[in-house]
Amino acid sequence: MSLPAPPEPGSADSGLMRYRCRHVTRYSYSDTVTSSHLLAHLAPRPHPHQESRMLELSILPWPAAMVDRRDWFGNPATYASIQVPHRDLTVTAEMEVTVTPPPPLHPAFTPAWEMVAAQAPDLMETVEYIGPSQRVPQGGPDLIAFASESFPAGQPIALGAMDLMRRIHEDFSFDPSATTVSTPISEVLSKRRGVCQDFAHLMIGALRALGLPARYVSGYLRTLPPPGRERLRGADASHAWVQVWCGAEAGWVDLDPTNGKRADTDHVTLGWGRDYDDVCPLRGVILGGGSHGILVAVDVEPL
Amino acid sequence: MVTGTGGVRPHWQGFFLADELTRGAMEERWDAARRLLFQNGVTYHAYADPQGVERPWPLDPVPLLLPAAEWRVISEGLRQRARLMDRVLADLYGEQALIRDQVLPAGLVLGDPGFLRACHGLVQAPAARLTLFAADLVRDPEGQWRVLASRTQTPTGAGYALENRVVLSQTLAESFRNCNVERLAPFFDTLRQTLAALAPRASGPDGSPRMVLLTPGPYNEAYFEHAYLARNLGLILVEGADLTIRDQTVFLKTLGGLERVDVILRRVDDDFCDPLELRPDSALGVPGLVQAVRCGNVTVCNGLGSGLTDSPALLPWMDTLSKHLLGQAPLLPDVPTLWGGDAGQRAEMLGGLDQLVFRPAYSSLGHQPIYGGELDAAGRAEMASRLRQRPQQWVAQEAIAPSTAPVWRDGHMDACPLVLRAFACATRDGDWMVMPGGLARISADDRFAAVSLQQGAGAKDVWITGKTLEGASTPRRRSQMAPDGAGDAGLPTIDLPSRAADHLFWVGRYAERADQAVRILRAAARRLSDDAHPGAEEELVPLLRLMGWMGMIPAGIASLPEADAVRGMRQALEIVADAANPGGLRATMERLRRAAAGVRDRLPSDVSGVLAVLDERAAAPMRADPAVMRLRLDEISALLASLIGLELDGMSRGPAWRFLVLGRRLERAIGIIGSFQGSGLASGTAATGAALSVLLELGAAGTAYRERHPLGVRREPVLSLLLADEEHPRSLAFQIRTVERQLANLPEITGDENGVSPTQLARSLLLTAGELLRDPQPARDGTALCDLTDRLGRMLPDISNLLSQAYFSHVFARTT
Repeated sequence: MSLPAPPEPGSADSGLMRYRCRHVTRYSYSDTVTSSHLLAHLAPRPHPHQESRMLELSILPWPAAMVDRRDWFGNPATYASIQVPHRDLTVTAEMEVTVTPPPPLHPAFTPAWEMVAAQAPDLMETVEYIGPSQRVPQGGPDLIAFASESFPAGQPIALGAMDLMRRIHEDFSFDPSATTVSTPISEVLSKRRGVCQDFAHLMIGALRALGLPARYVSGYLRTLPPPGRERLRGADASHAWVQVWCGAEAGWVDLDPTNGKRADTDHVTLGWGRDYDDVCPLRGVILGGGSHGILVAVDVEPL
Repeated sequence: MVTGTGGVRPHWQGFFLADELTRGAMEERWDAARRLLFQNGVTYHAYADPQGVERPWPLDPVPLLLPAAEWRVISEGLRQRARLMDRVLADLYGEQALIRDQVLPAGLVLGDPGFLRACHGLVQAPAARLTLFAADLVRDPEGQWRVLASRTQTPTGAGYALENRVVLSQTLAESFRNCNVERLAPFFDTLRQTLAALAPRASGPDGSPRMVLLTPGPYNEAYFEHAYLARNLGLILVEGADLTIRDQTVFLKTLGGLERVDVILRRVDDDFCDPLELRPDSALGVPGLVQAVRCGNVTVCNGLGSGLTDSPALLPWMDTLSKHLLGQAPLLPDVPTLWGGDAGQRAEMLGGLDQLVFRPAYSSLGHQPIYGGELDAAGRAEMASRLRQRPQQWVAQEAIAPSTAPVWRDGHMDACPLVLRAFACATRDGDWMVMPGGLARISADDRFAAVSLQQGAGAKDVWITGKTLEGASTPRRRSQMAPDGAGDAGLPTIDLPSRAADHLFWVGRYAERADQAVRILRAAARRLSDDAHPGAEEELVPLLRLMGWMGMIPAGIASLPEADAVRGMRQALEIVADAANPGGLRATMERLRRAAAGVRDRLPSDVSGVLAVLDERAAAPMRADPAVMRLRLDEISALLASLIGLELDGMSRGPAWRFLVLGRRLERAIGIIGSFQGSGLASGTAATGAALSVLLELGAAGTAYRERHPLGVRREPVLSLLLADEEHPRSLAFQIRTVERQLANLPEITGDENGVSPTQLARSLLLTAGELLRDPQPARDGTALCDLTDRLGRMLPDISNLLSQAYFSHVFARTT
């Protein structure tokens, strides 16, 4: 089994990055919608490696009510209701974010995965990220077998998690036509195709199948790569990746299975939870409306 | 019931002394009780049944008698437990000191799918968090009552307990008096007062709060109870789609527009209450409800998220929690329970695989128990491996053999294990009141106590006999509810939800449609079974045509010539009697039943009673023999007629009544037009004389006609009687006028974006219909008749659609 080399401290990723992010979601309906209720997770959360400033969260038509709060996970959440009849609805979020590189990681020196699994149920920090959740139901034998390949006995947790990430990156095809928002991870596993959300859920499911704590991160990727580097997948929409608990010292480590790398200064974090449902960027319940179309545009430009 | 020496226990003596409860008397009483339950429409749904049919409520005729002294222990224990659960909920949805201070393992709470993160931090009045509490209790072999499970979310059963009481206090009246039984009414009075006190404001028409009971709908297992409780507590029964949220405030969609709601007593599970913040796939909830609660504009009882403390995983910590939060040991001990998430307890579970009963640790994971003692070696290994893999998801309980109680079974007394569900409700002053009684469920399984209503094999009323402390201090004051459950607290009639109006409209339409079908079938059966009827065979022809027109029989039979009419009609009756025929009588009755089920709370109990009997008579297999069928049809016809009578005389003239009448009159008008078109009279395809006789009979106009025209059946007077006579209650003109009059009493609905008001449009159509009917020409001339029936045949369904559009159009919420 070949393992990817850990990113070296002081490499190209070490400098901090400043971005302006703009996320526009536009719904259009074939029939008049009499009212809409929205729950948005579109503002960046406090984060040790990231500083941010919200510039704008605007909704059109103008909402009758708009209320901000912090959700259970500490993510900013906004409730809004639109009470005038409408046939389209636009939500625009704009922010400035400064991302600093994650601290160096020494995967080989992280604790054995069995130890992490044994401690996870008793730690406040990890306990709610080991059980099944709405989008990541309890894994069956297939998923356990899939995960176990990366976790031989005594394997340090970060090495195992990075190997799992690498396998998903290499063995699965990025294919937006293969899945929908509701495709179960068992199907992603058998088809070996999907998008960032599917890969994140799959990796979370695999880790939790072994009792390892994993959470879902919602965020963005920079739109255009630095000169001479390849454009990353998922750069023009919302992105998703995974955090794995690697013991008290390393803490939560961000891994991006879609791109097969640690999340770094290319990644802007919005929020995290147990799975997509906890941090879904925009959830709406409408009255009326017939069929609907949706257009999403995300721009993450370096400043 | 019997002491060790074979004597009757003291508290049972009053019961037996009262009436000579011999075997024969007992059976008689039981029959009476079953009849009452049936007529009151007491049912519950069994989800396990693929057809989701309603089952009769299995009430045992022998109540569970508990002496006041024994009850006092239960009652005090329950109050203490309710206080404890409220404190636990307050902490877990608030500062979580119990987790921080490691009184409770974090994983136990945070790993529970019933812990709703969206509800964390919701600030609620204590009495709203846990307004109604219930505990399932079992008596162990030593006679000690123990808590088997807590019900903190939406405890079911208080309504069934009340209904049980209503039935048994009637069937065992003398025993009831002799035993000096504690009454239930004060409990429900208190519940209502508490709910009213929890209202953030009073938005009702009379300055009182507007309060609703939110039900998942008629397909829920306990829908009967929802309707029954709503009625007894004076709450408006609503489904999620009846409510909407504007400005973070809950509104009820009524006929007159949106009306603010202050209190919701919910019977919808936690996570189904709001598709926006809780389960996105829920169609039962109200989008934005959590936010409305969050900003204090509405009170939801029990509090959203309260299902958390139902989880059996908490049971091993009850002793600790009670001492920690209340400084007292529990007055009622729990059934000894182990949770797999704790290493020490897990080891005990693995060591006791062959004795323990295993259950899912979290209430949202279901209740199905696994009996360790019944597993073979392979089964035990499997259980052990499940336990090791997901230890947090299992609890194990000691297999207590619950004590038994006398049960009336197959004509004699038998002993069955039972579980007692006891209820407490919060009072306005922050205390708890325990219902002096409860719901005893007989276990279907002798090994272990039933946990859910569905697993139970029967239910018993619970009588607390003799004086209790509470009984002594509260003399029999006049309760708002008069005798137990006998009175209705009264429903605010103006707040008729649009959905209820819709159902009532269709109750009217289906009842009338059934009546029309029965009239035709009776006319046919009479002509087949009565040789003396003149012109019988000839008149079978228009009847066959009409049955074909109504979709009761295939066209091939409906169009048979006169020579084959007798054979054809025999065949037709076979088809109609077939329960599987979608056009048959059974199918129409089924639609009537469904429509009525959705508005149980809006129909007088007499109407529900008639509907129940009607349903049963129509469901019984029918033989196609004309003479036998005639008797059955006469019976059904009499029941349908009594429905009409109750409509006229047994309901007050509110909007609910108007929609029922609108449905009936529109359906009748459509039916009359249909009988002209279908019988072949309008098109001239049946002999005119025969068709006229049949129409007179179907229109119940024979007598009226003969009085005025003793000389025989002639076309013009018959038609003008059936079409235009405003004095004849089965004429077309009469229906149109009635519809016009009822519509005038309903709120005007303003136009949509194109400016067309559906109510105005309906009114103008009715006006036109009235004018058309005043024209004498169609009664004389075949072409004019044909033209009239064509036009009205299109117009009347349009009017029905306009009413739907005006008053019932529901736009259901969906998630994007």
